[in-house]
Amino acid sequence: MALPLRYPLGNLLARRLRTALTIAVIALVVVATTLFGSLVSSLKRTLVSTGDERNLIVLRKGATNDGSSVLPLEAYQTVRFFDGIARDENGDPLASPELVVQPFFRTADGGRENVLVRGVEAAAFRVHREVRIVEGRAFRPSSGEAIVGRGVAGRYIGARVGDVLDFGRGHWKVVGMFESEGSSFESEVWVDVRELAADAKRSIPYSGLRVRAADGADMDALARRIDADPRWSLEATPEPEYYAKQAESANALYFIVVGLALLAGVGATFGATNTLYAAVQSRRAEIGTLRALGFSRGAILLSFLVESLVIALGGFAVGAVAAAALGRFVSWLLGGIAFGAATFTTSVIQLRVAPGDLLAALAMALVIGLAGGLAPAARAAKLRPIEALRRA
Amino acid sequence: MIDVRDVSRVYHRGADEVHALEHVSLFIERGRFVALMGPSGSGKSTLLNLIAGLDRPSGGVVEVAGQRLGDLGEDELARFRARHVGFVFQFFNLIPVLDARGNVELPLLLTKLGRAERRARADTALRVVGLAERADHKPSELSGGEQQRVAIARAIVTDPEIVVADEPTGDLDAKNAVEILALLRDLAREFGKTVVMVTHDPRGEAFVDEIHHLDKGVLRDTVAGGAGGGGA
Repeated sequence: MALPLRYPLGNLLARRLRTALTIAVIALVVVATTLFGSLVSSLKRTLVSTGDERNLIVLRKGATNDGSSVLPLEAYQTVRFFDGIARDENGDPLASPELVVQPFFRTADGGRENVLVRGVEAAAFRVHREVRIVEGRAFRPSSGEAIVGRGVAGRYIGARVGDVLDFGRGHWKVVGMFESEGSSFESEVWVDVRELAADAKRSIPYSGLRVRAADGADMDALARRIDADPRWSLEATPEPEYYAKQAESANALYFIVVGLALLAGVGATFGATNTLYAAVQSRRAEIGTLRALGFSRGAILLSFLVESLVIALGGFAVGAVAAAALGRFVSWLLGGIAFGAATFTTSVIQLRVAPGDLLAALAMALVIGLAGGLAPAARAAKLRPIEALRRA
Repeated sequence: MIDVRDVSRVYHRGADEVHALEHVSLFIERGRFVALMGPSGSGKSTLLNLIAGLDRPSGGVVEVAGQRLGDLGEDELARFRARHVGFVFQFFNLIPVLDARGNVELPLLLTKLGRAERRARADTALRVVGLAERADHKPSELSGGEQQRVAIARAIVTDPEIVVADEPTGDLDAKNAVEILALLRDLAREFGKTVVMVTHDPRGEAFVDEIHHLDKGVLRDTVAGGAGGGGA
């Protein structure tokens, strides 16, 4: 039979200061784990969510991203009519030729960052289905107009709807802002592909091609046919695979963050252990009394573990609320956090504390509670009643 | 009720052997109020711990309420104590974070009784010791005498056959000491409990039925107490 819950709870209240300090230490770990974890997961989510599984990205063989690729006009005109590529209601293939350049943009605080400018045709909006204009309208071809992703709009000088953006040789009027469900397109500027090619004086107008596979079509067969065509040395990759590769740069960061979180967690575990050992020491006579009354070793063990877990849960609750508030504050303060991705362009990510990040922090807090409480609880349970009852 | 036969208890302290009890035999009948007396280190607390099932003998047999305690494991001893023994300590040993009722209720948590029944029995036990109106007070809000009464209520709430008391008056003033001794005597007289008390307190002699004197781990003599129960 277990001790009543008000026993461990009452004891926690009886030594408020020590309990509060231990809760604070665990809360700090929870805040750090949650915020760093959500930073990394927000970055990964931004990159990984960019792919559509029915889309193939076609680049020159060996190119690791569309910034380092070129695609001849003839290749575009041939590949777009391959079997297995979806068509719109007019019979036009869902194939989006794209050109990317990476000029410097000025940030509001005076910094310079590479931003990815993507030249596209109207087909881009049918291939990249998640892209939606949320303010203003789409650009008109050959009119010096641009649309900006939500992350770009808030970050750079001249990037709001109605402003004029200066990059390359031209001036681009911003006529709209788009979202793409949080994916990395939101860190890009989109303009008319021919205008961009002319501005950049590119003889070959395209970097790469995105194609959407028809429903029921064999994507592998389509990719193999593109790869095997002897006229051009091309490589087709499913978009999720392509963006997952781009996200690999986040993995190193992820391991650093996990390492730091574990270190902080070990520290907090020692804190919890210390608190509980002190509790066991000061309650020896009490433990002896409970054992004399007939409570089992298991009941004592459980009661001290409950004490430790309640501390851990308290730390999690305080830390989770603080982390959520801090996350919002940071997002509000910075309007998004800029990351230099592997492509040397800047991803603007929104820091979001996701349920997964909180679950990880909860798991961490519970492990701290269990690991920190186990040794003291075992010591309390092992006390022999007559020894515990003996006054020192 | 309590049958101690040729019992020894040896402690090992480093390389030394400490003979706390040597070949002690003792029989205590049901319903008796018995004092174990003697100087410090005489073995009286060791004997009390053996009778209460807190400790096991190195040799001999301790039989209490029909059970040979030397045969029981740690958790079986805990169950034995919960069922058969009530404890009263010198420093009361109440749980500070629980109120008087919560303290008295504690041993009942080891029974199958429901919440309402536990509460009713705890209140009854508090009434027996005259503290019904203090049930909601924490130990820190009670005087020493009141705390020891709560402890006695806790000792009897499960209706055990045996109550063991280790220096129950050791931390009390004269008036409270006498009241506690009278209460323990009544437990034997009116409720048929077998009460075994370790004490230095000479006032105790007037309340008990029999006194067993120990010295250096050996039972020296047994005399009748002032309560006139007539010892052997």
